[in-house]
Amino acid sequence: MIMPRGSDQLLLPVNPFFIAFTLALAAAFNMLPLGRQPALPDLLAVALVFWNVHQPRRVGVGVAFVFGLLMDVHQGALLGQHALAYTLLSFVAITIHRRLLWFGIVEQALQVFPVFLAAHAVSLVVRLLAGDMFPGGWLLLAPVLEALLWPLVTLLLLAPQRRAPDPDQNRPL
Amino acid sequence: MPLGTIDRTPPPFFRQGFSARSKLIFFAALAVFLMVADTRFKVIEPARAALATALLPVQRTLAVPVQMWQGGGDYLRGLQQAQAGEREAQARLAAQSERAARAEQLAQENARLRALLELRPALVVRSLPAEVMYEAADPYSRKVFIDRGTTHGVALGSPVINEAGVLGQVTRAYALSSEVTLLSDKDAAIPVLNTRTQQRSAAFGGGAAGSGGMELRFMSGNADVQVGDLLHTSGVDGIYPSGLPVARVATVERRVESGFARIELVPTASPDGVRQVLVLEPLALQLPPRPEATAADAPVRAERQLKTPSRRAPGTP
Repeated sequence: MIMPRGSDQLLLPVNPFFIAFTLALAAAFNMLPLGRQPALPDLLAVALVFWNVHQPRRVGVGVAFVFGLLMDVHQGALLGQHALAYTLLSFVAITIHRRLLWFGIVEQALQVFPVFLAAHAVSLVVRLLAGDMFPGGWLLLAPVLEALLWPLVTLLLLAPQRRAPDPDQNRPL
Repeated sequence: MPLGTIDRTPPPFFRQGFSARSKLIFFAALAVFLMVADTRFKVIEPARAALATALLPVQRTLAVPVQMWQGGGDYLRGLQQAQAGEREAQARLAAQSERAARAEQLAQENARLRALLELRPALVVRSLPAEVMYEAADPYSRKVFIDRGTTHGVALGSPVINEAGVLGQVTRAYALSSEVTLLSDKDAAIPVLNTRTQQRSAAFGGGAAGSGGMELRFMSGNADVQVGDLLHTSGVDGIYPSGLPVARVATVERRVESGFARIELVPTASPDGVRQVLVLEPLALQLPPRPEATAADAPVRAERQLKTPSRRAPGTP
């Protein structure tokens, strides 16, 4: 088995319930009633890209589409706007998933930044075409924050798979 | 290393499912279809309403931690704030009571005068109190969601006000909640009356980018508008009852090169931090139905149709 250079160990198999739980948690964060914050990072997009990169056979384009519809209805946005953005995000993530994991965490963050930027750009273009108002320059901060969150998300979401395969008293987890 | 610690099932050779690209094409096309259907045709509103109603418990649950976080400070300095608030409310009540007593008297007098002149009685506006659940996170529009829906009697297009003035209008009514588009949204428009000059005009949302203000469009360069003028609803649209405060004129910019003045408004009811609102019934529901075409109109219309066969005769739907 070829080990990706960046990874330090073989990972345990992922628990599907953990995937579902983290996606639900990210969606719940997005739904927190914090008001209109254009710079707020889209945690659900980060989680979707992460699982698309790490588990492309479990989380695919369809899941991203459904979560996008949920976000559209919650925000009262144009129905299909987030769905389209998340679909594109998911496709790009699946396309780059073999290459991305060979890099270190920082390089990965650099590579996912344009992906998040493109997703926001798609939303922006769609809404401007539909005749809505321009939200202001703070929107540019959101993909930056999402890319900055990538190392943290990687650390947290891979933690269950990095546990010891044979837990004993010295390594209880 | 014990078994089962690494993923030992190899990926299947043949049952790979659809490729990511075909899925992308399918779902992207579906998303584009949904967007077009959402903006142009109102065919998927029921699906959106069903999803919104299903999401409501989740939204209510998620509002709890945010409210606790915001309310946490109030617990610490609660007593003083409550007492100050009560004093302020009492003062305001005292100031308003005199006006309220006079309004009662004036309303009776007005009713008698109207009866004397054989005018139609003034319209009575039915209202429904509601609470703002959350502000829509969508940065491309200005919307809030309230906790009253069609089951409570909210109709599509109902005006929404608070104590300071008009907030907006119900643009989507779900079963248990409704979406209110604020006056500062780019698509919002409201007919107004300048209380100083009694001049009617139309105010539009989406003033300067991101300012949350409004704009008074199509006013000629020499129009009599001054900074500080109060604009009320004029009541000519059949939706907003007349006499509700809408906005105050903030800046008037008269440019030589353009025929119109650029007039920025500030809504009197600031949508930030508003909790309690009142949903009014649209006036159009109370207006009498359009009179049916009578037999006396028929020959006139037939004559007109003969003259201009290509155009529709006026009065026909």
